[in-house]
Amino acid sequence: MSDCHQTRNPFTHDESPAVGVKLEHVSKNFGALAVLKDVSLEVHPGEIFVLMGPSGSGKSVLLKHIVGLELPTSGKVSVAGLDASDPTTRGKVRMALVFQAGALFNSLSVYDNLALYLREHRVTNEAGIREKVMRALQILSLENAARKSPSELSGGMRKRVAIARALVQEPQLLLYDEPTSELDPVMSATISEIIATLKDEYHVTSFVVSHDRSLALSIADRVGILMGGRLLTVAPPAALREPTDPQIADFLNPLIDVKNPRFKQLEA
Amino acid sequence: MTTKENTARVGLFFLLGVALIWVTSETLSDGKAIKSRGYPLVAGFDNLKELKQGDDVRMAGVKIGSVQETRLAGRRAEAVLRIDPVVQIAGDATATIGSAGLLGTNYIAIDLGSAGVAPLAAGAEIRTATSADLNTIMTQLGELGGKLDGALGSIGEVLKGKDGQPGMFQRLDALLAENSSKVDATLTNLQQVTDKLNRGEGTLGKLINDPRLHDELLAAAGDLKAATAEARTIMTSAQAIVDRVKTGQGSLGTLIYDDKAGQDLKAIAANLKDVSDKLAKGEGTLGKLINDDSLFREAQGTLRKADRALDGMGDSGPITAVGVVAGALF
Amino acid sequence: MKQLIAILEGIGSTVRMLVRAAGFVPTLPRQLPRFMDQCYQIGYTTLPIVSVLSFFIGSVLALQAGYSMESFGAKEFIGSLVGLSMARELGPMMVAILLAGRVGSAIAAELASMKVYQEVDALVTMNIPPERILVLPRLAAVLVMMPVLTIIANLVGWFGGAIVAHSVEFIALDPEKYFETLRRFTKFDDVASGLVKAEVFGFVVVTICCSIGLNTRGGPREIGAAVTKAVVVSLILILVLDYFLTKALM
Repeated sequence: MSDCHQTRNPFTHDESPAVGVKLEHVSKNFGALAVLKDVSLEVHPGEIFVLMGPSGSGKSVLLKHIVGLELPTSGKVSVAGLDASDPTTRGKVRMALVFQAGALFNSLSVYDNLALYLREHRVTNEAGIREKVMRALQILSLENAARKSPSELSGGMRKRVAIARALVQEPQLLLYDEPTSELDPVMSATISEIIATLKDEYHVTSFVVSHDRSLALSIADRVGILMGGRLLTVAPPAALREPTDPQIADFLNPLIDVKNPRFKQLEA
Repeated sequence: MTTKENTARVGLFFLLGVALIWVTSETLSDGKAIKSRGYPLVAGFDNLKELKQGDDVRMAGVKIGSVQETRLAGRRAEAVLRIDPVVQIAGDATATIGSAGLLGTNYIAIDLGSAGVAPLAAGAEIRTATSADLNTIMTQLGELGGKLDGALGSIGEVLKGKDGQPGMFQRLDALLAENSSKVDATLTNLQQVTDKLNRGEGTLGKLINDPRLHDELLAAAGDLKAATAEARTIMTSAQAIVDRVKTGQGSLGTLIYDDKAGQDLKAIAANLKDVSDKLAKGEGTLGKLINDDSLFREAQGTLRKADRALDGMGDSGPITAVGVVAGALF
Repeated sequence: MKQLIAILEGIGSTVRMLVRAAGFVPTLPRQLPRFMDQCYQIGYTTLPIVSVLSFFIGSVLALQAGYSMESFGAKEFIGSLVGLSMARELGPMMVAILLAGRVGSAIAAELASMKVYQEVDALVTMNIPPERILVLPRLAAVLVMMPVLTIIANLVGWFGGAIVAHSVEFIALDPEKYFETLRRFTKFDDVASGLVKAEVFGFVVVTICCSIGLNTRGGPREIGAAVTKAVVVSLILILVLDYFLTKALM
């Protein structure tokens, strides 16, 4: 049993230090539009951090800052102590991002989608690659989909393939962008379980962006709430079951509740 | 469609492309891709005309190489020829620039040379000759025509008169009118002379009655006709005639270019003028004229021939004019 | 002003893409299957349309030349006209235009959709530079395939011209004579200059289409716009470059 600050490799069971993420006063503007406003937060090694917020609050943009797809207008993003905006960081820290729509390579089969990373980085020979890919597919119950093309898959399967593809990269940091969106409740629960399993079994640091309240409250170690580009709070899920801040309460307790006084306000 | 199959297809496709490029290069450059093939010869000309790099070099019409380079070297133009190594060119072979068709390109024509002469070595210079082209032949023919015009014109002047002076015929007319009585008297003598002529006595009689002379004249005319026919056939033959005329060979050549013959002609013209002048002045008599019958006959013959020649000149091109004039004059 | 900046940005990102792709040239042997696949897409599958078009271009050239030359009796020079214009100009030009229309648009569409659907981002997060696996194999493939396509276009065009010159009644030119004048006036240098042109055109078309595809921003609607832009820019550049290349290769 390893402690929470070590990432266990799902294939080799080798252990390497889990990595943390740190954002310091990060602001991001797209032209005149301020998407992130002075966001500071820290993700501890080995934990599941869920960032919640309504659509358009800047969650996905924040995620892209961590993998270096977006550069902050001001402030600093660091991963395992390294500047995330430096392209070489990607070569030093193994991170994987599970995109909202999967972002699977449509021209490649599911197997080749998973194998691409291993082949390009010459991680191992073709036999070793096969072993790793099949193991990752097995973890996500996708063995039968190996030869299929991504276009033949259902939304849930695509998400699982995307997670499997992230897994073969043996990440120290795993980022998920809306892993349960557009999925039925059963599939959402499955995905949640997978994320939790990865954390429990392999102690991967997970950063999840979602607006799925049940997911956040069930698997998160800590939850951050981002609204209008500002980080309102970071708290354990238990603390958010009965939020005191009306803004947060509105977000977490759906507005459809007709008894909610704010809903009446909006109607008027 | 597996990746392996596609790879094979791409490989085949690429090889096909390389092969096609190679074939095209071989076909279009006549093996220029292998540039060092063949040995070079240098040919100097006054003027390369339309000759350019890549044109053929032909020996007796067979392609034996190509023009590798054209360049100016001092006061002349040089063409570097690349000759097929299996072909040997005799040391006395001559290169000329030939042209294929009116619009076509030029080529270098090399004649066979003499058998047994040592072949030219690589890099040697080949003998060259300026070849005839249409323009030079036309110019030379024009010059020839001009000269003939001059010669015939002076004869015409004598006969027809010039600058208001009466011509020979008018003078003869006047003479006859003035001396009608004397003529009458002389006619009797003439009768006697005619009788003499008929009997073959005297120079004129011999001229008329001796068939040998007539035959010789006919034979000369035949020779000239043959030459004329030749002149009409091809450009080069015309050139040959012009060359011959230039060098003073042949009858026409003798006439135009041989000083002696020219002076003869002038002398004839002068004599005629003399006679005509004397007639005008009334010097001498018709009897004198008849006594000197050879001169009279000569003059008449020349006149007729000259007339025919002038007519011929009027309606024919320069080439036929040469023939007509030649045929008429001799 | 804004457009000028956009153009300069486009040039800048294209150059940066090329420099990066050039840096990955040593990885090319490892990417052989990908390179072969691109060769297949760019070369092999483009061959039929190149053949058909060049055949008819050669035919039309012969027909037009026959029509205008016949009146002054120079019809034997049809061969030289078709030979030279196919080799020097129409062969490479037509292959490049077909490449822009058929391959360039496909490249732009594929890369634009990869960009829009975040596949390119996925590659970046996997630390696999898109220039390495998306741009480089295509550039290498087009450089290898262009001469092949062009020489085939030339030859097919020449034969098309020969067939038309022979079979059209008012021309009725003996193929032997056609090819004699073609050979007399068309030197391999002419063909080679056409091949050089084709290489440049092919390289430019693929570079432009890759760059525009990879720089697509926004949603799926932008994919179509990117394709249109890529083809239009490619065609303009082909024609502009053609002038300067023709001058430079004279």
